[in-house]
Amino acid sequence: MKDIVKKLDRAFNPRSVAVVGDKREMGYMWLRSLAHFQGRVYSVQIDERELPGIEELGVKNYLSLLDIPDEIDYVIVAVPRAVAPKIVKDCIEKKVGGVMLFTSGFAETNTEEGIRLQRIIAEMAREANLNLIGPNCVGIFNPKIGLCHAMDQYYGDGGNVGFISQSGTHATFFSLMGEVNGIRVSKSVSYGNAVVLDSTDYLEYLGEDEDTEIIGLYIEGVKNGRQFFSTLREVAKRKPVLIWKGGQTEEGSRATASHTASLAESPLIWEALIRQCGAIKVDNLEQLLDTIAALLYARPATGNRVGLCAMTGGQSVVIADAFAKAGLEIPLLTERSYREFASFFDIIGSSYRNPLDISSNFRSLDNIIRCIDILNNDQHIDAVVLELSVLFLTRLGWLVPNFFDNLIDALTDYKTRSNKPFLTILVSAHAESEAITAKKKLVERGIPSFPSFERGAKTLKKVVEYYRLHSA
Amino acid sequence: MAIEKVISAARKEGRTYLTELESKQILKEAGINTTEIKLARTKKEATSLAKELGFPVVLKIVSPDVLHKTDAGGVKLNLKNEEEVAKAYDEIISSVKKHQPNANIQGVAVQNMARQGIEVIIGMNKDPQFGPVLMFGLGGILVEVLKDVSFRIVPLTRRDAREMIREIKGYPILEGYRGQEPANIAILEEMLLKVSDFVENRPQIKELDINPIFAYKDGAVAVDARVILEP
Repeated sequence: MKDIVKKLDRAFNPRSVAVVGDKREMGYMWLRSLAHFQGRVYSVQIDERELPGIEELGVKNYLSLLDIPDEIDYVIVAVPRAVAPKIVKDCIEKKVGGVMLFTSGFAETNTEEGIRLQRIIAEMAREANLNLIGPNCVGIFNPKIGLCHAMDQYYGDGGNVGFISQSGTHATFFSLMGEVNGIRVSKSVSYGNAVVLDSTDYLEYLGEDEDTEIIGLYIEGVKNGRQFFSTLREVAKRKPVLIWKGGQTEEGSRATASHTASLAESPLIWEALIRQCGAIKVDNLEQLLDTIAALLYARPATGNRVGLCAMTGGQSVVIADAFAKAGLEIPLLTERSYREFASFFDIIGSSYRNPLDISSNFRSLDNIIRCIDILNNDQHIDAVVLELSVLFLTRLGWLVPNFFDNLIDALTDYKTRSNKPFLTILVSAHAESEAITAKKKLVERGIPSFPSFERGAKTLKKVVEYYRLHSA
Repeated sequence: MAIEKVISAARKEGRTYLTELESKQILKEAGINTTEIKLARTKKEATSLAKELGFPVVLKIVSPDVLHKTDAGGVKLNLKNEEEVAKAYDEIISSVKKHQPNANIQGVAVQNMARQGIEVIIGMNKDPQFGPVLMFGLGGILVEVLKDVSFRIVPLTRRDAREMIREIKGYPILEGYRGQEPANIAILEEMLLKVSDFVENRPQIKELDINPIFAYKDGAVAVDARVILEP
């Protein structure tokens, strides 16, 4: 077992968890989040008024961490900041596997007291080699064992995507939005102020974690940039790593005596770093989830030439604009493909140059599938994109019963036999609630879908670039 | 070793800015091709060095106090014979003295006049988080206007060097746009790797600009350079 795995294993895969300082005012959110935890749960609370509420939840309470007659692997701390040093001291004495401080009010407040308390807990933890996560974070999510940090997170089946987030909100959003997009977390961690453990440690850990195949990061800043650089370079060779960089660091004023210094702004350096390490740069949560979905559910891209199918003329023009603008090619098809189209394609009000405008041909399921099959078999094409307009599909459903369900069955068959990345663009127009239902069905079948041409195009560009970089 | 000697000499004088002469000595030691440059302390030395190097030559003021040599009248280009060199020497000295009366003048550098090539820049700067970072781009005055540059964190792999050259928008110019002489990309890659190696092992160096480098189809030469030391 690698050192980092040995070091963090108890914290990420605990068999016992203690919650310190949960209270009614917070709706006992921490104890409730552990309702489905597969190990043992304990509470530590000294406020007598809170004890009945904790008892109601069926959790045994102790007045001190040190009183618990069990080994404790992971501690969740939600006490006021002034009490934090005392709890950290108890954690050291108890030899816990890891402690997460939900408690905030430290250096992030930029107050003398906050900075002082942060220094105290950091020094204590470092000296004792205590795995301290945070403070000012929500810590670990390991759905496989029911270790959640929010009551609405899933549990039971874990996924294969790891997430490392400096922000607790983004960690929670990632897990919940990921789930509805078919992306399930293997393990995730929100790590806040990173006073002891930093992104580099978690990246190294998830790099080794067998359940984790893809890693996402939300980072505001790193402490040891050189170490982060070498770890990222190493991990990104083995697993796709996506980086969403929040904020722009202003590390004091910079000398601008040379050109290089004045041009080397931090966002540019981050961009270079991500590229240099073979990671994928994303700019927001949507892009992070979109790109992971494409990595998970589309076949690896081998080139940047796209075959585009839109449902109407106007859409065929702008789908081509979006994909071309993203830096992808929309080439003419082979003569053979054009001969095949000529044999069945109704060109009245439609067109099959590339982009395709399927229009009236959309009434026949067979014809839709035939179109994307031709694109899939065309030597000029590396990836196939199909627009699914919820508005038109709903109207078709009035004429042909179960049209959408049958279409999804046919697309699932197509996806199974196709050998090129296949993306759908689910254009909802005004039919937003129908789009949600349609999206769900596509997710269930593992067909990646995107709500706009632009998002689909940017995603495809990112994965094409990723596979290009890693195939050479 | 010459690099340490140059650095400690500057330190002794309390300088963090190295002169062009010193900067090029350091680069040469790092295996980077620079124009031939020699220090002349007198007019006579200047003419005999020019003869030794072969005409045409360039004369530039050597003074740690003069940062913008051209502005101070401290640069004379394309000098074709001894008379021109002698005249240029006097003009440089008097112009700099007029411009910056208190400047410490070490002499005048005599250099080969390099044939014009495609101007590129290679630079190094220290990022507060990631340490030494290399920059590549189209050089000369273009770098200030177009900011068409790419970055990589040290140490560079060969692939990084390859990619950072190809990443700039002006790459077609390096390939020889519309019949212009192309730049030898392999040699520029090699130069980037040498600079990467060099700065990785020299924490004393804070910033580095090699600008311009003249890139040709069969070579590349550093025409001007500036090294800034850590305080």
